[in-house]
This record gives sequence, structure tokens and C-alpha cells, in this order.
Amino acid sequence: MSLVARHLEANGLPTVIMGCAKDIVEHCGVPRFVFSDFPLGNSAGKPFDVESQAATLELALRVLESAPGPRTTVQSPQRWNDDATWKVDYNNLEKMTPEDLAERRKEFEAVKATIKDMPGRT
Amino acid sequence: MTVAADHDVPVPYMQRTRDYYAALGFGAYRWAHCTDVPFTPLSKPLAQSRVALITTAAPYQPDKGDQGPGAKYNAAAKFYKVYADSTDSIPDLRISHVGYDRKHTTAEDPSTWFPLKQLQLAVKAGRIGALAPRFYGSPTNRSQRVTTESDAPELLRCCRGDGADVVLLVPS
Repeated sequence: MSLVARHLEANGLPTVIMGCAKDIVEHCGVPRFVFSDFPLGNSAGKPFDVESQAATLELALRVLESAPGPRTTVQSPQRWNDDATWKVDYNNLEKMTPEDLAERRKEFEAVKATIKDMPGRT
Repeated sequence: MTVAADHDVPVPYMQRTRDYYAALGFGAYRWAHCTDVPFTPLSKPLAQSRVALITTAAPYQPDKGDQGPGAKYNAAAKFYKVYADSTDSIPDLRISHVGYDRKHTTAEDPSTWFPLKQLQLAVKAGRIGALAPRFYGSPTNRSQRVTTESDAPELLRCCRGDGADVVLLVPS
């Protein structure tokens, strides 16, 4: 998605990305980025929380209007929850047993095989 | 001032994923990384602008297995070509084909990753001038070459063809 934003912008279309993976988006380098410090999958606000979703869009619109230059990141002030322990879990090896890893390896091989067989895959 | 816990920082996804792939015995993924970043200022106020929306969510495909909400990762539900659909109504999109946080979110409310309802409200409120007649789906095929050489130019054609002035991109 970051590469798409860069291409659009380079061809004259202003863009803003809403996202939750700060390091990945900033590693690529994009023109404008609204970072929500939420679990992946919630780029546009909290589930069933219209106020959160409206505030996230409004922030993106304000960033579109006011970014002084490329690599503008603005972090949403919203919090997912108070203790933030969710941040420790995602793909964290310290939380996985050898059995978990073996299961994940099996799943990953299956996914790779599925993707390889897809039409249009090059 | 409340002092934050040490773990309370943006999740280091690249490092976590590198370590995870290494533990599984797979090679490292290289994320796109650029030094220069393009920038185009707005040409007119948002209240007079037509906004396009790009998503990585996939149209529901009944023959492609469980796509949730809450489904396990489902690579069969991926799509490999840019698609477009109307912004007049809310489509049935799913995100089972991407690696969202399945422990801490359920994907039950599409508005958390597809802000079309909020954009429609923004049009009604006069905050933005209009929506492009279609939104666009951007494939998540993990090939930076395909994204750069094929998908991004196609998405540019779509946005231009529909008269978009600015573009909101929302990865799921």
C-alpha cells in the first residue's frame, strides 16, 4: 500500500495512508501517514465505535490539508486500551512453545503452496 | 504525567516478523525501503475535492472457504488484480487473506478497516466535496515488483479515470 501511495503521489495525486504498522510504513517512506496505535486490522478506528472512526478520518483529512512535506506521520491520540499488553503478543517468539512453532510452520507451508498455485501470481 | 510501560511503544513488526520467520526456518522478507519520498500539495480545498478510497480488503467469495469474521488466515481468498466497485452502497468485504491481529481484534466491524460510511458522512457534512464513484482494491501479493510495475499504475489509471483529486489508502 505504501508503494501505491508513493506512485500516486509521484504522479500528481495527494495521498494519505491510515495504518497501524508504523515501522513498516515509515521504513518504506510515504507522503502522509496517520498512525493508529491499534492492533493490525483497525486502521480506520475502533470496532463499533463511530466516534473513534469519525475522529480517525477527520485526522487523516487534516493531515491531507496540513502536512508540510513528505514523511509526515501524525499519531492518533486514541488508545486501544489502558494497559497496552496487546502489543506484546503479535508473532512474539517468547510467547510460543515449540509445539506452537511446529503448527505455525505447517500452516505457513500450506499458505505458500496455495499462493504459488494462484492465477496471476508471478 | 503518567509514565508509560516499557512495552507501550509502537509494535516493532519488522523485527518480530524477522525473528519469527527465522525461527520457522524461512528466509527474511525485505520490506520496501526508499530514501526519496514524493509529495504533491493539495490543489484545492477538500470541500471541493473528489476523494478516492483504496483498500486491501477482498470481496467475499463464497467458494473460497471461511473468510470470517474471525476466520483463520485464508490465502485462497487473496486477489491478484486491482478491482473496483461502487461507493454508493457498502460492499461485503473481508480481510481473512491478510495478517491482521487475530488475537486482539475480530474483524466483525468492516468500518475499522474500510471507512466508506465515514466518507459518505463527510460528503453529507460538506467536509469533502464528493467521493469517487468507485473504490479500488489493491492486491496484497507480497511482490514489490508486481505492485510497482502493475498494480500501482492500474490504480493510478482508476483514480484518474474517476476524476479523483486526493486518495485515502487504508491497509487492512
